[in-house]
Amino acid sequence: MFLTIAQGLGWTVAISVISFLIGSVLGVGIAFGRLSRRAYIRAVARTWIELIRSVPPLVWLFIVYFGLGELGPKLSPFHCAIATFSVITSVYLGEIFRGGYAALAGGQIEAAKSIGLGRGDIFFKIVFRQVFRTVSPSMVAYAISLMKDSALASTIGVVEMTFRANQVTQATGQGLTAYLIVGFIYLLISLPFGVWARHADQQAHKRYVVT
Amino acid sequence: MSNSIENYLKTEKITKSFGKSVAVDEVSLGVQAGQVVSIIGPSGAGKSTFLRCLNLLETPTSGEISIGDFKISIGPGHKYPTAKELAVLRRNVGMVFQSFNLFPHLTVVENVALAQRRVLGRGKEEARDRALQLLDRVGLKSKSQEYPGRCSGGQQQRVAIARSLALDPKVMLFDEPTSALDPEVGAEILSVMRELADDGMTMMVVTHEMSFAKDVSDVVCVMVEGRIIESGDPQKIMSEPGHERTRKFLSAVLGR
Repeated sequence: MFLTIAQGLGWTVAISVISFLIGSVLGVGIAFGRLSRRAYIRAVARTWIELIRSVPPLVWLFIVYFGLGELGPKLSPFHCAIATFSVITSVYLGEIFRGGYAALAGGQIEAAKSIGLGRGDIFFKIVFRQVFRTVSPSMVAYAISLMKDSALASTIGVVEMTFRANQVTQATGQGLTAYLIVGFIYLLISLPFGVWARHADQQAHKRYVVT
Repeated sequence: MSNSIENYLKTEKITKSFGKSVAVDEVSLGVQAGQVVSIIGPSGAGKSTFLRCLNLLETPTSGEISIGDFKISIGPGHKYPTAKELAVLRRNVGMVFQSFNLFPHLTVVENVALAQRRVLGRGKEEARDRALQLLDRVGLKSKSQEYPGRCSGGQQQRVAIARSLALDPKVMLFDEPTSALDPEVGAEILSVMRELADDGMTMMVVTHEMSFAKDVSDVVCVMVEGRIIESGDPQKIMSEPGHERTRKFLSAVLGR
């Protein structure tokens, strides 16, 4: 039974990792939008974030899979799950990135300009590296919750772990065992990341936070 | 001050307005190579804004800046300087801020080496050697591997000076470099600046340190409400100011 369920792990990981990666890239765009000098861009970004966050992920999943499927060519459940979770991830990470940027010690960008650094260098060498260090614990925490949310994809028929546990339950009637196994596997994945995130956070503080 | 041909740094009618308020009002001045010019005046007079216009951290509303043969005109009818022009300007004009503004995620030596590598294209070894040499000059070679968070304010400011000098600028701008420091620590910074001046660095210093303005600078400019109301020999301005407003300002700061 364990093996049958664990075979769904690949899909769980695929949905989580791919959505997280796409969401991270889009999230940078969201953060830029929120920090834009132009008021209307900020307004659009803000509205978009509120819109995405105010509707439960499950409902978005249904809108994308059943709703959009009605309009055009039907995408596979897997692709729909990726699309939905990527967009949801992007708004949460976007807000995390924005917070990290706000926490940058002031005056650094001016100083960087004053020594002739170009925009690319300022972003990658100064801003990105610090923001990344500040937000990585929050990013990991979000990644864990995304991995858990990916179980929702079972409802539209992605054959990931929870879906398999469902099948096993229906076939054998041993729901308790099946779902405990799924829960245990989620736990096994989540725990190390959580521990690592806490550790990374402490390291970052030790390194360059003024005491 | 005359804008003679030998002026190394020259501004022509630099104006900066924020909406309707004019922070800097047609300021023209020239600094000869090797000169130290101090700008003094009451808070809110536009001293820092003017200084920040010189390396375009603040974009003037209009005016002209020239450094040696390099000239930038800004205002109606002129295009905003290209990234390349900005880079040339900023490579030649160093700036030290009131609040140090070091990069906290880089070690002291990395702070000083970064722009050498990215802007001047120096190799890793060369940039590092030059950084260590400059850190030695400001007395901080022993701190080179520390992060700025572990350095005192005075040490951070000295690193900031080294970081600026690393590009071998032709002109150094100092924006109230000691205001965020204890007087005793401020004195350390002033002595580093004095050494720089003695070595022939062209400097423009916005400061509230009257003794520095008097003893080290070749020229003092008094700025009030966005204008330079008088400028000239520091001793003379300090002892017999020509302008009523200068007198008032000096008696306020010196009388404390």
